[in-house]
Formats: sequence, structure tokens, C-alpha cells
Amino acid sequence: MRPNALAGWLLLAPALLLLGGLVVFPVLYNAWLSLFDKHAFLPVQRFVGLGHYVYFAHDEEFWNSFAHGLVYAGATLVLQLAVGIPTALLLNEGFRGRNLLRGVVLFPYVIPTIVAVILWKWLLNDAYGLVNHLLVASGVVRAPVAWLGKDWIMTSLVITSVWQFFPFVVVTYLARLQTIPPELYEAATVDGAGAWRRFRHVTLPQTRSVLFVIVLLRSIWMFTKFDTVWLMAGDGGVSRYIRTLPVYAYARSFTYLQAGMGAALAVIMFVMLIVATAVYFRVFERQEAMS
Amino acid sequence: MTRSPLVSRRHFLKATTVAAAGSTLLSRAPAALGQQVRELNVWHTEVEPQTVKTIQDTSIAEFERKFPGFKVKQQALGWGDLNTKLLASLAAGSPPDLTHLNPFMTASLYVKQLLRPMDELIRALGENDIHEATLKLQYFDGKYYGVTHAMGATYVCERRDLRDKKGIKSPETFDDMLKLCAALNEDGRHALQLPGEKLYIGFVHPAEWLASNGGTWVDANTWRPQLNGKAMLEILDYLQKLNRFQPAGWSGQKYLDTLAALSTGKIAMAHLSGARTIGYIEKYAPENLRDPEHFAPLLRPRGPSGKTGMTTLDGENWAVFSQSKYPNEAFEFLRLFYKKEHYMAYCHSVPIHLTPIFKSMLGDAEYLSHPRIKKWRPWHDVMITALRDKRLLPLGFTRAEDNALPFLAELDGSSIVADMVVEVMVGQKPPKAEADRAQRRAEELLTQLGHKRWS
Repeated sequence: MRPNALAGWLLLAPALLLLGGLVVFPVLYNAWLSLFDKHAFLPVQRFVGLGHYVYFAHDEEFWNSFAHGLVYAGATLVLQLAVGIPTALLLNEGFRGRNLLRGVVLFPYVIPTIVAVILWKWLLNDAYGLVNHLLVASGVVRAPVAWLGKDWIMTSLVITSVWQFFPFVVVTYLARLQTIPPELYEAATVDGAGAWRRFRHVTLPQTRSVLFVIVLLRSIWMFTKFDTVWLMAGDGGVSRYIRTLPVYAYARSFTYLQAGMGAALAVIMFVMLIVATAVYFRVFERQEAMS
Repeated sequence: MTRSPLVSRRHFLKATTVAAAGSTLLSRAPAALGQQVRELNVWHTEVEPQTVKTIQDTSIAEFERKFPGFKVKQQALGWGDLNTKLLASLAAGSPPDLTHLNPFMTASLYVKQLLRPMDELIRALGENDIHEATLKLQYFDGKYYGVTHAMGATYVCERRDLRDKKGIKSPETFDDMLKLCAALNEDGRHALQLPGEKLYIGFVHPAEWLASNGGTWVDANTWRPQLNGKAMLEILDYLQKLNRFQPAGWSGQKYLDTLAALSTGKIAMAHLSGARTIGYIEKYAPENLRDPEHFAPLLRPRGPSGKTGMTTLDGENWAVFSQSKYPNEAFEFLRLFYKKEHYMAYCHSVPIHLTPIFKSMLGDAEYLSHPRIKKWRPWHDVMITALRDKRLLPLGFTRAEDNALPFLAELDGSSIVADMVVEVMVGQKPPKAEADRAQRRAEELLTQLGHKRWS
């Protein structure tokens, strides 16, 4: 090996060690663990090969959790974009109080998840919550809505999550909006384009790549979201109606005490996300090439 | 003009160094004097601040006087957190020296040889004086592996005045309960509310319902789950009817929400209460209603196939792990904990909720003289009635022999029973189909855990 290459490897070694120890090793260990029937805490384990994966292929709870995860990730992603992009467009305009509003919009994203969830559960409580009080007082509904009950718990979870995470879309999209040359808008305006056409033919093409990143990151993060879902109903009877795969994986590991099964679920989620990301990249690249 | 400092830099540095060294030495004084400071770690589930203080001021204070080289570190944990934390500490090889343990976990730990027997202690405390409801809960192969810290019970807490107004007797059967609920469901007030936590609707209450209806979690010999048996199907039918009298969002509410709803008149009965509820009533109920004439406990009704309504005995046991660093001192600590004056103070820290395990103390004038026990005497009397009539079973047990089942913690954690109950009650799904599904899941779980004994 040439001395330069050796020096290069030596310089890289600390980073490689950290990356290997903190990322690669846990992933590989988790995959290894998924091949065992292992108690979460006690030294009891038995090799079962791919048995857990075969089990989950037929496990109703797994497919229910998968479906809940898709609904949750899908609904929150669409709504975050639907709320976040118009907000970013608004905050990109010049008006009095814009800087203050930009700060206020960030607020939900910077408060801890536990606070956000407790706040929303308090607001939505059907016995003493403010939302029901306002709905009943204004005559919109006659009886309080059981927001935290079976029929509305997913909606409540989606509302809470969108409120908490749409600022990420705002900040990221706004950052890109601020770099679009104003000449493009001026030229479009001279050509007679109205607000919608300027958005469609200037803003959207210019922000495609950032939208790609936003959709990719937010869909991964929402699909693997644990804390918000768990805090909303993790220890409650209604958890059944919003149980997603990360919550199911946690339950298998720490309440069923089946660490091997929990590890298998983590591997399955990991593979799902890798595949989804690869497909998404491929589609994006194809569209980029076409455009 | 420059002023000379009051303390020179050299003096300041010298003084700081001496102070730092001195305080370091002082904090490790016993070690510096050749005496090693040892820490006795004690975990328990009584989180009320006055209980923690009582333990500190009584048993711990005396222990530390008697054993000067020891420092007792008590940690109060919510019992919902206890299992996970204990198992994690065991896995890490550093469990506490002395801990509370849920009786449904004891068998699983005993089987893995993780517990120390405590026969000598039990004999010293008075084997014949310990109430039969608790004495043999941790008794395996002729040895004792635990001793209950105190006894509490769970009840339905009712607005007694509302029932009296209707002229309805206390419900003995599931049918009586449904009739009572129908009568009390009026004026925008719901008759009943169950707690929404999985732990209660998926473990604690189902165990009570099964025990009250002649059912069990599993077959006694084969350990095959009995979730779709006659007893459970009757229970699910009852629950589906009971659901009509509850607020729509009950499954998303918690135990404390139900007590708030009861105290403020939104419901007529809270399905889960204990003597701790008294504190809640005294704080939040209208002032003219804060008495046992308005808020009273009801023992659980029995099902159509049951003989007696059974209720949960809320009483963790003290246990000493085989990995404990200071087992002898842990047993010494327990002797002091149960010393009469210390134990009396402990039981009085949350009266009635912490009912003494010693028969001789149950009618003791000093014990009964506590103002809260005097005022809320009917609550104490119901506890005594439940003990006398053998209507108490440890948390999560469907029969006394469940103490030998090494998988109740996993069954509790699995959500299998909670899912079934919620689907039948809230989802109004057919009981039989849901019971069959739960049965299939439970059989799979026990098979995975290696407890399958049926063919």
C-alpha cells in the first residue's frame, strides 16, 4: 500500500470506527438477534432462523400495524405538505410582522413531543377539553365528540402530528423559495402569468428537488414515528386503533418480552424503507431525466 | 488608584484547595476512616410522598443507626414501571437488594432461581399472624419467597346516595349491575366508567371477571388458554351490554380521569377505585358530599357461572434476589420495616389502602384510631368483609394457583386480552369471533414462550 493511501486510511479510521460502532454494528446485531427466540431481559435464547419472519407474514397484528402506519404516514405527509407549502409561500411574501410570524410558526416543532401530545390530549378530552367545549357552545355538535375514542383517535393523532411537524416543511421549503431568482417571476409576470401560473411554472419546477427531500424524509420519519403515537394511546385500550409498526416492535420487545421478534420487526421496517426509498429515487431520477 | 485585594490570589487558591479536599474527605468520611460505605438499594411501589417520608424516618433511620456502614437508598416506582425496570436491572446483573414484586412475576423469577427464600423472616414476623390472603402467595416447594408489604383492594366506587334514592340494593350479579346502570344513567350523567388503560381492561379486570364467573386464564393441567371458553363468552356478553352506560370516549381515558369524573358528578360509578380514591374525593368532590354516605365502595358482582364476585388484592410482596449484594442486611431491614411502630406509621401513611397484613393489627385500637379510618370506616369494613369472605385474589390472578404460572407478565404485556375487550365493547364486534381470535393469539404466545403443555 502506498504511504499516502495508508495515511488516508489512518485518517479515516476514527470516523469509520465511530460509524461502524454506532451504525453498522447495531444494525447487524439487530439482524442477528432477529434469528433468535430471545427473552428481552433474561438470558434465555434459542435459534429459530427465519422463523420470526415467517410468523409475521401470517400475523394479523403485523398487517394491522402496517396498515395503520401507511394511513398515518400517508395522511400526515399529505397534510403537512398541504399546510406547510402555502404557509411557506405566505411567509416568503413581504408584510409587517413577517419575522415574528416566522418565529411563531416554528413553535410547534421546537416544543418537546411529550408536551405537544399532553397539550392536544387535554384540548381534545371529551370530558373537559376546550375543543369540545367550543364545538358544543357554538352549536356545531350537540354532544361532545370522543376525540380520544375508537372512531376519532387516528384523526386526533394525525392532527397532533401535522401540527407538530408541518413547520419542518415550512422552514425547508421557505429556504429554497428565498433562493429563486426574482427575475424569473418578473419575466413570468411580463408574459402575463397570474399567481397560479407563476406558482405552477416557476415555483414548482424550482422547488422540485427540495420537495423530493421533504417527501422522502418526512415519509420515512412519519412511518417510523414512535413517540407521538405511543404517547397518544400507547398504554390505552384504544392503542389498538393506531398501533403502527414501531409501536408493535416496541411492544414485542418490551411488553411481550420477545426481543428476537422485536428485532425482526425492526429489520422488516428497515428493508421496507430501503425498498421504498430506492423506488422513490428511481422515479425521481426518471422524471428529472424526462424534464 | 488600585486597591489591594482583601484576599490575595495565593490565599484564595490555598483556601479553595483546602476546602475542596476537606469536603471530598468529609463526604467519604467512613471510607477515609477505613470503613466502607455500603448502599442498600430498596425499590418499592408506594409513591405517595408521605409514605416515602415515613419509610425514611422510621425503618431507614433505625437501620442506618444499627448498621453505621450502610446507607439505605429507597426508590419509589409506579408499579406499572416496576416490571420493566426490575427485569432490566436483572439483565444488567445489578438488581436492587430488596424490592417490591408483583405476585404475577414471582413464579417466573422463582423458576429461574432468581429469588432467595425467606422462611426465617416469616417465622420471626409470626407465620400464624400473617393473613391467609397473602401468606402463601410466594410459597413454592415448601419455602416462602416473599412477604406482602400491605393489603389494599379494588372496588367499584359508587355514589351511594344516588343508588339509595332509587331504592336499589347493591348488585350481587352481572344482571343486577346492568339493572343498576340502567337506573343511574340519566340527566346527561353516565352510570359507569371503566379505566381505559390496557393494564386494567386487559389484565386486572378480566382476571376479576373470570374469577367471578368460574373461569380461569388457562387450564390448570395443560396451561391451554381459556379465552374463548363459556366463562369468558358470558363476560364479553356482559361487557358489551355494560358499554351502553359508559361515556363514548372511555377507552381513551385513564384511571384518574374516571375518579375526576366521579368526584365531579359526571358518572355515578367508577369501576376501578381503592382507598386512595378517598384522597381524590376529599380534594375534588363538592364539600357537602365528601363522606362515605355519598361515596362508598362496592364489591364486584358475580357472573352467571360464578359463585362469588372476586376483587383484586393490591399488595406487592417484598423479595430478595439471589444476586442481591447484601441479602442479610435486606432481611434485617425487613425486620425493622415490620416492627410494630414503624409498620403502624407506614400503614397510616395511606390509611385503608395500606391495610396491615397482620391479623392482630386489623382490629387494633391504635390502628383504627387514625382520623381517616374513623371517618371512612365503611371503606375499612368492606376490606375486612372481603378478607373474611375470601373475595380477594392477587392482581391478575383468576385463582390462587395462578401464582405458579410463569407467563402472566407476558400475557399482560401482549395486549391480547385488552384488544378483545375493546373490540367487543367499543367496536361492538361479536364476542365469539373476538374470543376465538384472542384464544389463537394467546396459544401462539404461550407456544413461542415455550409454555405449551397441551397437544
